[in-house]
Amino acid sequence: MIQKLKLSSLALGSMVKKELIIMTRYPVNFLVSFVTSFIMVSMYIFVTLMFAPQRSEGSLAGVGGVGMFGFFLSTFFSSTLWEMASGIRWEQYQGTLECLYLTPASKFSSLVSKVIPNFIWTGFNSLAMLLFAQALFGRLPFHNLGVAAYIFTMTIAGIFGFGFAFAAFTLLVKESAILTANFLQFSLYILCAMFFPFSALPTFLLRISRLIPLSYCIDAFRSTLMGYPPGFPELLPIEQELIIITAFGTVMPLLGYLLYKAAERKVRIEGSLGEF
Amino acid sequence: MEPIIKIRDLRKTYFSKERKGIFRAKKMAIEALKGINLDIYPGEIFGLLGPNGAGKTTLIKCLTTLLLPTGGTAWVNGYQLEKDEEMIRASVGCMLMGERGLYWKLTGRENLDFFGSLYHIPPHLKRRRIDALIEILGLEDIVDRTVETYSSGQKMKLVFAKALINDAPILFLDEPTITLDVPSAHELRAIVKDLNRRGKTILYTTHQMTEAEELCHRVAIIDKGEIIALGTVEELKATINREGVIKIEGVIPSEAYEAVRLLSGVKEAALTKEKDLAKLIVVGSEPRTLLPSLIRTLFENGATIEYISPAEVTLEDVFVAKTGRTLDIDTRIK
Amino acid sequence: MRGTLTQFGWKTSLQVILSVILARLRLRSRYKGWLLLGLIIPIVMSAIIIFLGRALGGPRAAENFFLNTGTSNYVAYIILGSNVFMIVSRALWDFGFWLRREQETGTLESLYLAPTSMMLILTGVAIYNALHSIVNFFITFALGCFLFRVNPLQGNIPIALLFLSLGLVPLYGVSLLYGAMVFKLKEAHALIRMAQWVASFLMGICYPISVFPPFLRAVALLFPPTWMSNGVRASLLGVGFFFGTWYRDLAVLSAFCVIMPLVGYSVFLATERRIKRNEGVGMF
Repeated sequence: MIQKLKLSSLALGSMVKKELIIMTRYPVNFLVSFVTSFIMVSMYIFVTLMFAPQRSEGSLAGVGGVGMFGFFLSTFFSSTLWEMASGIRWEQYQGTLECLYLTPASKFSSLVSKVIPNFIWTGFNSLAMLLFAQALFGRLPFHNLGVAAYIFTMTIAGIFGFGFAFAAFTLLVKESAILTANFLQFSLYILCAMFFPFSALPTFLLRISRLIPLSYCIDAFRSTLMGYPPGFPELLPIEQELIIITAFGTVMPLLGYLLYKAAERKVRIEGSLGEF
Repeated sequence: MEPIIKIRDLRKTYFSKERKGIFRAKKMAIEALKGINLDIYPGEIFGLLGPNGAGKTTLIKCLTTLLLPTGGTAWVNGYQLEKDEEMIRASVGCMLMGERGLYWKLTGRENLDFFGSLYHIPPHLKRRRIDALIEILGLEDIVDRTVETYSSGQKMKLVFAKALINDAPILFLDEPTITLDVPSAHELRAIVKDLNRRGKTILYTTHQMTEAEELCHRVAIIDKGEIIALGTVEELKATINREGVIKIEGVIPSEAYEAVRLLSGVKEAALTKEKDLAKLIVVGSEPRTLLPSLIRTLFENGATIEYISPAEVTLEDVFVAKTGRTLDIDTRIK
Repeated sequence: MRGTLTQFGWKTSLQVILSVILARLRLRSRYKGWLLLGLIIPIVMSAIIIFLGRALGGPRAAENFFLNTGTSNYVAYIILGSNVFMIVSRALWDFGFWLRREQETGTLESLYLAPTSMMLILTGVAIYNALHSIVNFFITFALGCFLFRVNPLQGNIPIALLFLSLGLVPLYGVSLLYGAMVFKLKEAHALIRMAQWVASFLMGICYPISVFPPFLRAVALLFPPTWMSNGVRASLLGVGFFFGTWYRDLAVLSAFCVIMPLVGYSVFLATERRIKRNEGVGMF
């Protein structure tokens, strides 16, 4: 058992190393991530100046908190979704997915190995974005770091699980996966109010938002870091939101894993693993 | 007779990077063509034979204007490289990149129609030509389906049809049978012969010597960017007819191979290994005198022999005689 | 031409352009989901900014917006900005990235083997892209106005259309310039993503470039889509042309129409030549 764990860890380590090496062979991608973070923060400020210039006369920090903290979480969501969709899709297209399956290494490790380097990179990127925001907005609020860290951890676990579920979807639908990822990403930007408060959403959209666990993660995370100003959290009291987030973070990874194994079994029975 | 393809001192150097670590790389110059001189005459099927990495595809890409040579020049159908590129492309039909080179979301007919337009074929001629090609190549059942639904062999047939779309006087066929099954490959070779009978000049690259022997009027053997032999198949075989060829199959350790190479009377020897069996080709003078010492040397060095035969000379033997390697060995720079 | 079916002439050259348009139309029609996504993205983008603006400004959102831009109709302003940005984005992806995509799928060598000038093929791609973009623009603009309850038929529509259509020409020049870079550097997705973000920033999807510091304003004015975007908004919403009148702004845009395609094509040809001199166009 210990030997098996050791070998699995070694295999996972190799796969993470492979993904990191591939990332370093794309230096422009490196640069682009920083540039886009800077531009997003700047655009957020300009929007604020257009609509609420009086807020810019004081500190923009409270205003910035809603958008920046929401954006911080959204980057992890987007990068996981895209890594699962495009990563597997690319392996299918290149024909290397079958090669991966011919090795005795765990396919699950292969999935995890795709996401880990991306998470590391997204983390650096998001931190850089927050620093930019600090420099431009003024000091962003950073209250209740312990609770925020817990929410972040549970959210990431839930996003991981969602990612595995999406990987299952990609194995099955192949070409439509990228398109679906696009639709999903854009829909959730609105429905989970990643860049603006939930109060801005029309009522009928808000009803849908309340059905999505990620909405509570976004709401709780930024409310907690902002120190629960009046009106925040917007969806439910923080205690109830924490329960939902905990359930999301514990159930979703398991559900995602089971869905992935089921999809894997299905494509191996059908013989469509090598198809793209 | 004036050559239809004239190549003078054609050279091509690639620049590449060799990874020395995660962030470091060293620039490398790779000479893919080292001064090729060649004349190909109208109406012949000219074979270009060589292992992977020899420079066959690079040569064809230079002649079809996909690559600009580093030095030298060539004339194709009277038009010079780098001066009359559009006229060269109008004079040739090409089958170069295998089953890539088609739009997978378009049907076979739509692909042919599109590329026919790119070849500036007037609409009425284009329609007729497409229908003729569908009939010749037996594409009726598949031509109105999207290419993504085709098998490998069907894609290759469509690519061949695309190469014939403008009915050019010169055809460049780069390993056209590589993914085809035996009957389809046979069918394609029959079409190639028929096209040649109708006056087409064909430059045919392959690393299967049986194909070259079957089809080609003349063959050039290319290795590491240079032409090492040129002539008709019979002329090339005659260059080593004075010598003999012995083929041995069995378990042949490398010490045995090295010992054979040092034997007096052995001109060249090449060893290839396939699974557990090795194939040794020995080119030497007086095979009947050489045979006993050859067998003794092999046994003394731990070899076991499954099969031995003095053989009819093939083009691969010519290649072995010139290079000491077989055609199976990949000579691409790693 | 003797010995082949090829016949060079203006008719067959026109046929090349039409065939490219038809092929792209066929290819695009086989990806219906992406067509739908192209309609949804600008609406989602607009919605994000509109909701954010409303949240930030509250009841004074329109008033504040008027003070900064000259119009209180921030919904139409943002919808127009998003839609013009989509045209730019589509030009980058479908035109600038087009070469790279052909390279990845292996069809680029097939195109280069044909006795056809790349200029004709690029013209076909550009015309298709322009038609697709304009049709998409009208549909998404109408849809966005319907969803957010604004009147789409306001202001000087013919002048707006003039800015929109004329603005496409230098846009393709810029895209070709970018395409040459992508062709050479190969990290296509990252480069195009960066170009999209930079374009959205410089054009001002939801703000006028007057908010920029002077240096950045000058850079934005060197970017042709900025003129296109401002021209359309100024015509329809009365926010003010850069040089005061529509014909002066149009004159600048016309100058871009001449310069940018020339620059773009020259750079593209030089890059193409360099690539053919080394690894060849098929290497991806």
